Amino acid sequence: MAEPMKIRAKMEGDAADVKVLMSHPMETGQRKNEKSELVPVHFIQSVIATHNGKTVLDIQWSQSIARNPFLGFRVKGAKAGDKVTISWTDTTGDKSSIDTTVAA
Amino acid sequence: MRYRVQTAGISLALALTTLVSFSAGGADREKMPRTKQAAPLELARSAAPVLWQRQKVDSQGSSWPQTDWAAFSTLAAVSTPPANGAISMSVPVEGDAAKGRQLAFDRTRGGSCVACHVMGKDTPPQPGNVGPDLSTVGAKRSDDWLFNYVYDPRTYNANSIMPPWGAHRLFNVAEIRDVVAFLKTLKTAHSFNDPQENPDTRTPPKETRDNLDPTENPALFSLDRGRDLFARTSAGGKSCAACHANPENSLKTWAARMPRFEARLNRVLGVEEFITRHARATTGDEFPMQGADNIALSIYLHNLANGETIQPDLTNAGARKAAASGRALMQRKLGQLNMACIDCHTRERQAFKWARGQYLVESRGTIAHFPTWRTSRGDIWDIRKRFQWCNVSVRANDLPPDAKEYGDIEMALAELNKGEKINSPGIRH
Amino acid sequence: MVKFLMASSALAAAGLLGMRSAIAAVWNKTGFESKTTAEALKTLGVSGATVSREIQITAPEIAENGAQVPVTVTSKIPNTQSISIVVDKNPFPLSCTFEFSNGAESYISTRLKMGQTSNVIALIKADGKFFTAAKEIKVTIGGCGG
Repeated sequence: MAEPMKIRAKMEGDAADVKVLMSHPMETGQRKNEKSELVPVHFIQSVIATHNGKTVLDIQWSQSIARNPFLGFRVKGAKAGDKVTISWTDTTGDKSSIDTTVAA
Repeated sequence: MRYRVQTAGISLALALTTLVSFSAGGADREKMPRTKQAAPLELARSAAPVLWQRQKVDSQGSSWPQTDWAAFSTLAAVSTPPANGAISMSVPVEGDAAKGRQLAFDRTRGGSCVACHVMGKDTPPQPGNVGPDLSTVGAKRSDDWLFNYVYDPRTYNANSIMPPWGAHRLFNVAEIRDVVAFLKTLKTAHSFNDPQENPDTRTPPKETRDNLDPTENPALFSLDRGRDLFARTSAGGKSCAACHANPENSLKTWAARMPRFEARLNRVLGVEEFITRHARATTGDEFPMQGADNIALSIYLHNLANGETIQPDLTNAGARKAAASGRALMQRKLGQLNMACIDCHTRERQAFKWARGQYLVESRGTIAHFPTWRTSRGDIWDIRKRFQWCNVSVRANDLPPDAKEYGDIEMALAELNKGEKINSPGIRH
Repeated sequence: MVKFLMASSALAAAGLLGMRSAIAAVWNKTGFESKTTAEALKTLGVSGATVSREIQITAPEIAENGAQVPVTVTSKIPNTQSISIVVDKNPFPLSCTFEFSNGAESYISTRLKMGQTSNVIALIKADGKFFTAAKEIKVTIGGCGG
């Protein structure tokens, strides 16, 4: 099941300011659960951000990104109404994606 | 350790179950006029998971200590042995100062002396200032005084908030001799180059994150889940929304009036325990306290009341008695560290000081944001988990989340926080 | 205390996943598994990055906990192609790499796990050259916990 995400994009000057919060445990592989078993390593390792279909950010992450990862970036030349999409893939092959339109 | 379902009060609850069982039962319930005084509640069982156990780990990977501190007082029972007074020592007290220094700085033995004291030029990073600066203590005090103050400070000050390191077996006598040998070497006042290292000049943390920004606070994922749970139809064909239409209006003030004294249980019910018992009696859902669904609904219900001022109903004797009990419990010395809530969280004692890198705050202004996202833990805590963690931190056995004593303290805190505006879910370090 | 461990089998699978798409860069397995900053930088092709004042690292001087340390990096170096962040004292120092294209400003904001007080290093690639800046972030030590 795709994990939920929150996204906000709004114009600030001549750029779209985008903020994203992803729901993900970002397990380091060393945490133990209630039964004292190691929780397997499980983290988002790739994130792609696109603006009107074109890749603007190509991101690689390790497990040192905090649980429920946050991402903030800016796209110069974007306009209100443009489409911004975020897609991630984690170490188990799970994927999730969300899009929004840039607010004025 | 394990806690059986509390048996005290069960027989009373069972007697009352018959009274509510018809009101909770299917078609009969539909015909019952609904009154504000009698929200259907399941009263017989524990609202906590049965055979409730202390949390073991959190989502961030930090573990909760699992020690059983049964020899020391909890909020439910007084068992700490009384202070025994001074031990007669032959002076001078001899010991290994190097070992003592190690013990004084050792975090695994109760937080270390540096959690509360500056200790000369070798002070490790981020010392606290709950206790006095000890950088010159070796020039001022006798061997006998030093030994006995560490062994049991109550010999000199009955209300000391310092743990009785010897009397409570945190250190043995030989170790305290070593600590005293180290203290005797502290004779030169310490000055800090970095004002952020000096606990007297360090900048207190200020929470500036917007807790209601969906890209800031992960607890807002839980708010969505709570809203969905409220609307969704359960396996039995029922839903919260079926009885509570327009919750934005009908439940706008509800959470701000909680906790409340519940006569049928003869104790205080908080939002979370209410959710468990009310759901069992209505939709048939099982939402045990501190489970993800319970927290989600608690966040949803608190969030509906955002901006409303905390106004617990203290017009009945039961609520007033509970608040009085809560205030008394907050003064009880707890656990192996022998600390009371008020020791760290009142202006008159040590609030607004540093326990190592942690800034202590007073109890007013600290409940309106619950349940709250704890970034350091990677979890959402309800108010009862906050109590449990405080208990474990002072090395006292914690209680199940539906314990009467936690209800009393919650009522006392609601009274203390009257007029504060609900702002949930919160976000804290 | 935030802990790290690489499970090699999971990461072998992860390496394959990195190639799932033509647009995504191949996940830098060797870099992310490196145990020292020097090794990690080598995998990024860095030799002798220039210290630059055109790189701004915004982060708290004292982080209240290492589980979630907000870090923002802005590069004013022309033609910035990518920003990497290295947490020097983490068991696996290389934390993340962001590659910019098609109008993305050379600015990123994220939140890192930090095991202890450490230098946080930003590494910028611009016009094929490397530039760097560092900032120390202190991680708060808890009170009574053992």
